[in-house]
Amino acid sequence: MSKDFIEMTYDKFIFRVESSYLYHPDECWVKRDGELVTVGVTDFFQKTIGDVIFIELPETGSELTKGDETGMIETIKVNVTVISPVSGTIKEVNTELGDNPQWVNTEPYGGGWLFKMAPSDWETDKKELMEAQNYFSIMEKKITKEMAKE
Amino acid sequence: MEKKVVVLPCSGIGKAFGEIGRQAVYELVEDLRPDDVTTTCLGRLMIDDPEAKALVQDKIVITIDGCTQDCARKTVESSGKKVECALRVIEAIKKNRGLKPEGILELGEPGFKLVHILAQRLNEEVDRVMRKGQ
Amino acid sequence: MSEEITLEEIKYDKVGIIPCNGEEICEGTLTRHASRKVLDKLRPQDTVTICLPLFIAGDEGERNFAKIFPTITVDGCNKRCSQLSTERLSGKPSYSIIVSELLKAHGIEVPQSRRTLTEKDQIAVDVVAEEIANKVDEILEENS
Repeated sequence: MSKDFIEMTYDKFIFRVESSYLYHPDECWVKRDGELVTVGVTDFFQKTIGDVIFIELPETGSELTKGDETGMIETIKVNVTVISPVSGTIKEVNTELGDNPQWVNTEPYGGGWLFKMAPSDWETDKKELMEAQNYFSIMEKKITKEMAKE
Repeated sequence: MEKKVVVLPCSGIGKAFGEIGRQAVYELVEDLRPDDVTTTCLGRLMIDDPEAKALVQDKIVITIDGCTQDCARKTVESSGKKVECALRVIEAIKKNRGLKPEGILELGEPGFKLVHILAQRLNEEVDRVMRKGQ
Repeated sequence: MSEEITLEEIKYDKVGIIPCNGEEICEGTLTRHASRKVLDKLRPQDTVTICLPLFIAGDEGERNFAKIFPTITVDGCNKRCSQLSTERLSGKPSYSIIVSELLKAHGIEVPQSRRTLTEKDQIAVDVVAEEIANKVDEILEENS
């Protein structure tokens, strides 16, 4: 499946937002896949945290409520928690990331996906997710603020 | 005795991995295998420096990259030489979770422990490629 | 297909520092330390660094940056790998420093080790870093 991106350039960095996904303010993306949703982290997020070296993912079968801490990403710089953007049950985790954690950096919207869930209340939870263009505007502001600090 | 292997780090300056790779190559070239291994500047390959190109063409090449951009491997390949073994610094780090460098250039004690581990890994690869080349 | 949006019209408020990072000689190590000092301490708001081989290995981000924004190349020796590569693969740098020549002009000894820098070597780092920082100021002044 080819990807369509909205892009923004700042200095030497190009930030991408996959235009068909939905976004949670805590830098997760959500893609509806039939009965399931796939969850990953955004390009902006992976650029901020640095090279991923370890990932801890939830167990298949875990029941989660929206906002629950569900995993941990460790980079050379930081340890960050991954939250669940929707409520539901974990059906599949991306076990390939154990040997290839760098996919979170190189393919944040593709091969770097983290887990798939069967959402328990999708119609309610999706109202709190953003369309790509809205997330892009928020990302723009974050980038300007972040880069101005450095 | 002529050296048989050239090992090239990416020397990336944006992340500690670049310095770890660079220091590991120095440890290999100066301490562990001074008779067998040499290095050269990646930049010299970029400008098609004849001496650097000849060195790389004549020898077995190992590259050690700090990140998935694989600058060292790609730079060698763009000079027309196939890399015998392309390693990434992250492989050493993944197996030693408790060790993290303290800075990008000032690695500190834990960073230099990673350097030693990576240098040993490179040493093993040198043995392997030299055996294969015989 | 992607829709490209740039933040605003490009302002030359950053200078790219491109050290050669030469592995063979001590001056190559100096280019790294001096460049990072400028980036981390002397001019953190005004500079970015670029890994030289990313002009070949990277996506268009680095090449485009160096085409649009002013750059300073920092070479260890007169092979000028950074200067020549930047010119060839991206855009002409605004200024080029050759560390071996700069140290000679200041009467400073070249470090003895390419692996570690002594306290004495820090003088050499400081001189190169100051030269880079001064040129950053000049370039941004000209471009403002």
